[in-house]
Parts: sequence; structure tokens; C-alpha cells
Amino acid sequence: MSAATLIERALLIAFAAFMLSVPWSVPALINSFWVSVIAEILIWSLFAASVNLLFGYVGLLSFGQALYFGFGMYGVAIGINDLGLSFWPAFGLGIVASMAMALVTGVFAVRLTWHYFAIITVVFSLIFYFLALTNKWLTGGDDGISFTLPPTFSFGGTKYGLTDPTFQYFFILGVVALCFWLMHRLIGSPLGKAFLAIRDNDTRASLIGLNVYVLRLIAFVLAGFLAGVAGALFAFFGRYASASYMFYHVSGEAVVWAIVGGAGTLFGPLVGTSIFIVVREVVSSHWEHHSLIVGIVAILVVIFAPRGIVGLWRQWMAQLAERGDAAAIKSKLRTEP
Amino acid sequence: MEKLLLLAMNGLIWGLIIALIALGLAIIFGLLDIINLAHGDFFMVGTVLAWATLQSTGNFWLAFIVAPLIGFILGALIQRMVIQPIHNAAALSIVATFGLSLILQESVRITFGPTPRRILPPIQGTVPLFGIDYEIYRLFAAAVAIVAIGGFFVFLHRTQLGTWMRAVRHDRDTAIAMGIPAKRVYVLTFGIGFALACVGGVVAAPITTVDFRGGVDILPFCFMAVIIGGLGNLPGTAAAAILLAFLEGVIQSAASPTVARISSLVLMSAVLLLRPQGLFKGFAR
Repeated sequence: MSAATLIERALLIAFAAFMLSVPWSVPALINSFWVSVIAEILIWSLFAASVNLLFGYVGLLSFGQALYFGFGMYGVAIGINDLGLSFWPAFGLGIVASMAMALVTGVFAVRLTWHYFAIITVVFSLIFYFLALTNKWLTGGDDGISFTLPPTFSFGGTKYGLTDPTFQYFFILGVVALCFWLMHRLIGSPLGKAFLAIRDNDTRASLIGLNVYVLRLIAFVLAGFLAGVAGALFAFFGRYASASYMFYHVSGEAVVWAIVGGAGTLFGPLVGTSIFIVVREVVSSHWEHHSLIVGIVAILVVIFAPRGIVGLWRQWMAQLAERGDAAAIKSKLRTEP
Repeated sequence: MEKLLLLAMNGLIWGLIIALIALGLAIIFGLLDIINLAHGDFFMVGTVLAWATLQSTGNFWLAFIVAPLIGFILGALIQRMVIQPIHNAAALSIVATFGLSLILQESVRITFGPTPRRILPPIQGTVPLFGIDYEIYRLFAAAVAIVAIGGFFVFLHRTQLGTWMRAVRHDRDTAIAMGIPAKRVYVLTFGIGFALACVGGVVAAPITTVDFRGGVDILPFCFMAVIIGGLGNLPGTAAAAILLAFLEGVIQSAASPTVARISSLVLMSAVLLLRPQGLFKGFAR
């Protein structure tokens, strides 16, 4: 096993151990406020992962993922508030609503590519943003809908719900980790390979018999699923839903997070989201102009690490491995008589 | 009826101003192949420069010289420092211009302040027009926009630099082989795009408010004009901007501004899906 794989494996284990210990270690090290910041990072990184699935693996740059995030949020909020659903059906409603929306819009959107695709996704999300703003009876407009959380599980008399911060953290961690694991499996599957083929050259992909349109539509619905889960989680996390989360700025931020972290890598969105949210939380308490730093970081990363931070890391690891190989070859040569 | 006429006139004049801004976006889009998310903020910088000129010199008209000049220099600098290093890669340019948009907004918020301000129109008074009293300044704004758009097209078709810009857009490699300094053309194009948005900002400053978020609403509208007009079709872009704003004005006389915006967005999706080459393909080239 090479040094690079060892380092990466050790990092992964350390990361998993840290994530599992957050509810105890973080309050001890900093304060308990940061537990909820980390939970928020997890949710937003899932949202960035939905941009990454489309852009990094299928080559479609969507600027309208906030639409499906918003449908996830509203599915949960309307389900609980207006329809009186309990926890899991509301969660399901949010996910189904965003996937259905992704299917309906995707049928039109994936007929287009590149600039046109980017723009039609913004247009769709703007249409529904304005519709949500005007139809206050359903969505509450800019003020949004607040709701009280139903319990997640209830066994007889004992109830577990997200009102317990530790339970909430592990619930979010579990769902996000499950989604990332599913995405990992997807990338390794034949379907994932077909996505990569389309990303690299869609003409060639269609010539070897792949149905580019249907595959893009599948990817679009799957990305809608990821964004919908993120939206539903965020609704549970904030106990409300608002039209402002459907604005194109929200989609734009996710694009930036995904590309800065490293598009086309599993952990890129997580890295990008963490950097930006941590910077925001650290700086915004001291200085209100933290967006300035976000803007400068985005530009610097794009200029100096065009493949994102994870891309840069991989480059370093590849160099390390190469050096190791070179040393191995050298030592082998020396032993030969 | 009077309300309809007033809103239609307002829409038409607003459309002329948007056309000016959208032309800047269209040349950056068409020539450099980047999606410029900071373009709305270029417009916003123009409104702020108008306000700053008025404050420091007491003369609004000076802004018509100062703002495009500063905009041109800023645009050229941004192209050299931010856009060129990323080799015009479209996906990266989206992130870079998003970052740029944040930087411009925050810089204005720091220096200018977070509260929106108003500029009084430098020409006061109204004039009777088709039975309504219409503000003279708005008519003047329309005239400025028409002159600027016309001037831009003359520049594009009658000067050496304009010809270079069209040549590089048409076929970059051949243009370079013919000895056209493509890199310099890119820098100048970005500068001119910024300058056009700034002129739009100065003209619009007395009509709208001066605010560091002033570009956020403008940006989708400019993109709509560029798409409906057809990517790279400059006369089409200008025509689409005027048409869209006029239609929104007319719809607003019967329904809310949001409904008007939704209808133009639906129109835009239809154009994208049915005529992705733009509405005016065949009319102009």
C-alpha cells in the first residue's frame, strides 16, 4: 500500500471518528453552538452534492437546484402544518415533491445543454420563486411557514425527536452519510460510468448506444432527490420553510461550494461547503462584510486550484505516489547486479 | 387607459436602458464565452458612481464621463487579473464572476453604506404627452440610451477595434493568424462591457434607487434579453430587452409586477425550448 492511500485512509478514519464525537468533543473544545453549525454544514454539503452530481459527473451545470431544495422544505412544512402529517410521511412528501418537480422540469431542461441548460434551470427556479412569493396562502411568501416538530420515533410512551440536539445531530449525520454512501455506490455502478461517459463526450456516448437524454434525465431526478433531502432536513433543522431559499443566489452558492471544493469528487462539496460556512461563522461575528472574503476566496481558488481543493489534494497525493514509485524503482535498480 | 399608457411608456424607456446594459453582457458572453454573474453589479457600480460624482462635484452630467471611464478601467483590470488566468473556462468563470459580484457588492456596502439613496432627476418637470404628464428626465434617459446604443453599433461596424471584436468572435484562431491581438481585444471587450453597464447605471440612477443590491434584479432581466434575442445576436438582444420591458409594463397595468415577471420568464422558457437560436434569427446577423 502506498503512502498516499495510507494517508487518505487515516484521514477518512479520523474524520469519521470526529464526526461521531461532535456532540461531546465540540462543546468541550469550543462551544455547543458549533454543533449546530456542523449540522448545518452537513445539510448544505448535501445540497452542494446535488450540484456536483450534475456538473461533476454528468457535465450539466444547473443553476436552479434551489427549486428542489425549496420543494423539499415546503413538502415538509406544508405536510406538517396544513396536512397534519407526522414526521416520516412529511419527510417522504418533501422528497417526493422535489423528485416529481425535478422530473417535470427535467423533461424539458435536459433537452438543452451547457449555457442553455444553465439558464433554463435558473428560469424554472425563478418562475417558482415568484409563484411562491405571490401565493402567500400556501407558502407564506417571504415570511415562510413555521411549524412545530412532530416526534421522529415513538415507542409506546417514550418519544425521540429532533428537539433533542444530540439526536438531531445524529439524525442529520445519518441521513447525509447515507446519501453520500449512495452517491459513492452510484458513481461506481454501471449507471455512474454511463454518466461519466456522457460528461466526457456525449456524442461518443450516444454512438456506443447510451440513451443520453434518458440518462441525463435520471441524473437530474437523482440530483433533485439529493437537493430535496437537503431541503427537507433544513426544514426540520430550522422548523420552517421560506420562499427566499428558492432564489437563484442559493443555487449559485451551491455551485461555488461544489466547484471550489472540487467538482467530480465525492468529498469536494463537503470540503467547499465547510470552508465557506466556517469562514462565514467565524468572520461574521467580528466583521459584517464577510461576503468580501467569500468572494476573494472563490476567485483565488478558481485561479490557483482550478480543479478545486480536493483536486489540488489529489495532485499532491499523486506526486507523492510518483516520488514513492521513483524511489522504489531506483532501489530495485540498485539491487540488480 | 392612462395608467396603461404610462406603464407602457415606462416599460419602453426602461427597456432601452436594459438594452444598453444587456449589450455589455452580450459582448462579454459572445466574445469571451463566459457567463458574467457580476454584470448586474457593474450596473450598480454605475449608479453609485453617478451618486458619488453628484456628491463631490455637484454636477450630475460629469458622471456620464467619469462613470464609463472608471468602469472601463475596472473592467480591463478585472479581465487581466481574474478572467485571463482562468483561460475563459466557462464553469470557472461562473464561480469567478460570482465572487466578483460579492466583492463589488460588499465594497460598495462598505464605502457607500447599506441604505438605499435617491438622486433627484437633474431635469425637473413634466411634459404633456398623449394626454398624460410625462417626466422630462425619462424622455431624456431614453434619448441617451438610444444615442449610446447607436454609438456602440457604429463603433462595432465602423472602427478598427470594432471590426477586431467581430472578427475574434467569429473565428478566434483565424483572427489571431491574421495578426489581430486577441488577448488585447478580450481586455478591451470586458472594459467596454463594464462601461456600457455603467452608462446604463448613470442614466437609470435618477429613475431607480442607488443601492448596493441594485444589480440583483437587473441580472436575470439582462440574461433574458440576451437569450430571447439569441446568443451573440446584438441587435436581437437590444430588441428583446425593449420588447420584454414593454410587455412587462403593459402586463403590470392589469396585474402585479410579479405576474408580469412570471409571464416574461415563461416566454423565455418557451423561446429556449422552441427557438434556442433566439426570436430574431434571420432578421439580423
